[in-house]
Amino acid sequence: MTQLGTPPPEDVLLEVRGLRTEFRVLDGTVPAVDGVDFSLRRGETLGLVGESGSGKSVTSLSIMRLIERPGEIVGGEIWFDGRDLLKLSEGDMEDIRGNDITMIFQEPMTSLNPVFSVGEQIAESVRLHRHASKKDAWDRAIEMLKLVGIPSPERRVKQYPHEMSGGMRQRVVIAMALACDPKLIIADEPTTALDVTIQAQILELMRRIQEESGAAMLLITHDLAVVAETVQRIAVMYAGKIVESGGVQETLLHPQHPYTEGLLTSIPSRVARGQRLNVIKGTVPNPFRLPQGCRFEPRCPYSFEPCKPNEPQLETIGTNRKVRCFLHGLPGQPAIPVPAGAGTGADA
Amino acid sequence: MTKFIIRRVIEALPVIWLITVVSFLLMQQAPGGPQAAFNQNPHITPEQVTAWLQRWCLVRNADILQTIQEYLGWLGVYNCTGGGFLSAHGLPNFLPEFLGGGTNGVIHGDFGFSISSGQPVLDLIAQRLPATAILMGTAWILWVVIATLAGVLAAVKRYSLIDQVITIFSYIFYSLPTFWLGLILIFIFGVELRWFPVQGIINVRTSPAPFATSAYWTAFFANPWPQLYDIGAHLILPVATLIAVSVAGDSRFVRSAMLESLSQDYVRTARAKGLPGRTVVFRHAFRNALLPIVTNIALEIAFLFGGAIATETVFSYPGMGLLFFDGVNGRDYFLLMGILLIGSLFIVFMNLVADVLYVMVDPRIKYD
Amino acid sequence: MAFPDMQSPAGLQLGGPSGGAGADAEDVEVALESLSQWQLAWRRFKLHRLAAIGLVIFGAMVFIAVFGPIIDPYNPIFIPNAHRPGGDPPSLAHWFGTDNVGRDVFAMVLNGARISVAIGVFSMIIAGVVGVVIGAVAGYVGGLVDNILMRIVDVFFAIPFLFVILVAARFFGQGQLISLILIFGLLSWPLIARLVRAMFLTLREADFVEAARAVGVSDIRITFRHILPSALGPVIVAMTLIMASNIVLEAFVSYLGFGLTEDQTSWGNALSNAQTVLSQGNWWWAFFPGMAIALTVLAINFIGDGLRDALDPRSKL
Repeated sequence: MTQLGTPPPEDVLLEVRGLRTEFRVLDGTVPAVDGVDFSLRRGETLGLVGESGSGKSVTSLSIMRLIERPGEIVGGEIWFDGRDLLKLSEGDMEDIRGNDITMIFQEPMTSLNPVFSVGEQIAESVRLHRHASKKDAWDRAIEMLKLVGIPSPERRVKQYPHEMSGGMRQRVVIAMALACDPKLIIADEPTTALDVTIQAQILELMRRIQEESGAAMLLITHDLAVVAETVQRIAVMYAGKIVESGGVQETLLHPQHPYTEGLLTSIPSRVARGQRLNVIKGTVPNPFRLPQGCRFEPRCPYSFEPCKPNEPQLETIGTNRKVRCFLHGLPGQPAIPVPAGAGTGADA
Repeated sequence: MTKFIIRRVIEALPVIWLITVVSFLLMQQAPGGPQAAFNQNPHITPEQVTAWLQRWCLVRNADILQTIQEYLGWLGVYNCTGGGFLSAHGLPNFLPEFLGGGTNGVIHGDFGFSISSGQPVLDLIAQRLPATAILMGTAWILWVVIATLAGVLAAVKRYSLIDQVITIFSYIFYSLPTFWLGLILIFIFGVELRWFPVQGIINVRTSPAPFATSAYWTAFFANPWPQLYDIGAHLILPVATLIAVSVAGDSRFVRSAMLESLSQDYVRTARAKGLPGRTVVFRHAFRNALLPIVTNIALEIAFLFGGAIATETVFSYPGMGLLFFDGVNGRDYFLLMGILLIGSLFIVFMNLVADVLYVMVDPRIKYD
Repeated sequence: MAFPDMQSPAGLQLGGPSGGAGADAEDVEVALESLSQWQLAWRRFKLHRLAAIGLVIFGAMVFIAVFGPIIDPYNPIFIPNAHRPGGDPPSLAHWFGTDNVGRDVFAMVLNGARISVAIGVFSMIIAGVVGVVIGAVAGYVGGLVDNILMRIVDVFFAIPFLFVILVAARFFGQGQLISLILIFGLLSWPLIARLVRAMFLTLREADFVEAARAVGVSDIRITFRHILPSALGPVIVAMTLIMASNIVLEAFVSYLGFGLTEDQTSWGNALSNAQTVLSQGNWWWAFFPGMAIALTVLAINFIGDGLRDALDPRSKL
């Protein structure tokens, strides 16, 4: 990672450094995002994985600077296309939103405004960011609907969201996200609210579109199966921090953080018949009383002396491979090489 | 859409019928009945009284059957003078007159006579209607505009000083009894400061003619400005009194409707599209908040009636509210029933308008 | 709890069969203590500054209502000498001044509290009980019963409220406290009924009700133990509003002369003759009783708002 204050190299589209976002609530301050670093190249896809409460959604909203009271971004830098987003004016940020960075939300049922037609909602973006005429924007809306695979787009474009199914609405949301040729698409649990069969279709659509348009994509999800098929790189979050990152195949086949390992072994299909399902004991830490040392330590089966008093840093242990765990090298100790072979059982 | 309206009207009919029943029953219970009130008025001769009683099927100490007869007579379904359900022409009495039906009863526009003044009820109501209409109309416009602006402002600038101030004022004014506020305003602006007149609708001494008479209207249209000024000055305090409570309540409603709308997912989507703040608020959030706001406003008109009475009595403003009050004092049987009925019909009508507006404004509603 | 098929990534042998040296999972603290719905509500209510103020003010009014006349030296019925037509302005002897026959306005306010608060509280209770029962029946039973009841409610809403109150008070309740309470109560229940019915309609289809039914809970039990607690939130708020508006209504009705008569003091009563002396500049007679009403209603509104925030399960802390 480049040093603070200077923009990253040209081919890195998005670089998040030390992002910290807090929520000030009645019982105290919740550090939802507590020092998150990751980067994304142009055209690359990154999956941000974690369970509920890990801070992944807040991370995506922070990038878009859509955090509202009682939340607040309190530290870090978000470099996008050579500029630190956290230093931009609201007006500049509005130019970027919906234009260079677009977002796809989780709930297609409520993400669309019920009183406007879907065409109008797509065209609105186009008129705003491309200064297009009403007619051109409308045509573009129809074009986008076609692109996302909605049949009879000329008819559908005039319909209202409530006249469409969940899957179709999500396609509309995707169309909206693509309308202005974004450089980065952030998709926050885009398929979680959909039926399983529709999920597959939507993911396939997103993959195809991402390839064709060349946009980078940040996919946020709690579902490991979804990332396995859709992204190139993966970052795992726990309790507001990134605990492991790397190429998706490698990380899922050879997890280096006990949490990732625990997640993978909890997947039913990976456990041989007759064996017990693994469960990660315990629950996520109380955000008001986080452990002093490693945040995963109370639930970690490999915990040993350095884990309680100190917090491990995110260390590089290979090309594009990072882990936040004392098992992989204390200061002064040589880094432990990534073991070859020895998978976790069934094929990935 | 027309089918929808027709269906709603038909659905309203049982309610309207029940209203007539309730109005009638309420008056029936009045101790003494209309006969008692007749005795108060020296201008009515005993012959008039008898004719009156007969025309309306009014019988002393009526039993159930006679009471029903009286109700039906008042309604216009039963022919009291002739006796029976047929009109003088031999056709069902409830038919309109030009079709051969009767001439008595509410259905035919005959609301009876005011006992204290002797005038037909409908005439009296028509006389007083313009004043109340002016009062309520002006109040309604002002109230809607002010409440909406204040509510939206408070919602958008939540937690700010403006929001706090608006909220505090809303709380305070919402708690004031309307009539008491009228008294206070009279005292401050009428007695102490002498800025505004404190009663009536026109200055009787300088006006060309009594209000709402044809002479008045002729003079009015000949030279409207002095009359407008006159009416306007008389309207200021009553309107202010009338709207204070409504604005306070409604601005809080608008505020919460806006807040609700602003917290929805589609507002977040709108922001994520990079739409400027103002567009998000007015085009996306407000448009959705409009739905409950519009219905609320149409329904609140019903409550304006109550406020109108309070204001008219305090300011001696010659409208329907004051007429009603006089009627209650004078036990003016038919007048009260007439006003009740007309008032209720108006409210039912406004409910219908609210429903139609809601359907028009919300594309999600299918009205078949 | 070593994973049976896996090699520990570091190749280290860690602990015994029970897993690492870390605390056993059972010792891990549960993230947040859980509170019942009512405990949460109370917590939220306490935080609402305005509601707290409201509670204090209203409490004061109730206290005055119950104990007021006992602690006040001036009995308003007693007529001492009047010093000037229209009464004396506020002074040390008479904090709120006197009216035109010399009665102490402060005493009138204290006495009036009793009646006005009583009317407010009892009419609210009547409206609440009747409204909840009718609304629950309509909402849960549905069908024709629901239809008929709702038509009746519609009628109540269609007829201009104040008109009916005036007529009813004048003809049936003039001078009688109990009748007035009944009239107010029986004219306010439709609001509650409509609210309760609406809540029932939504909640009837809710998943947790279906679950209860599937387990075999009887209809009556479902109504009272499952649906009603959820429906009560808005109902309680509406009841406070009814109390406030009935206090104002009684004042208006008495001001017009249709409510209580002179021998019973209420705040509205006190105002009824005040208008005549306004033109002479005697403001205290009109001001103080009305102020008492306004303060009480304000307090009730604060409480109502606090309750609304506290009982709304969606409101954030």
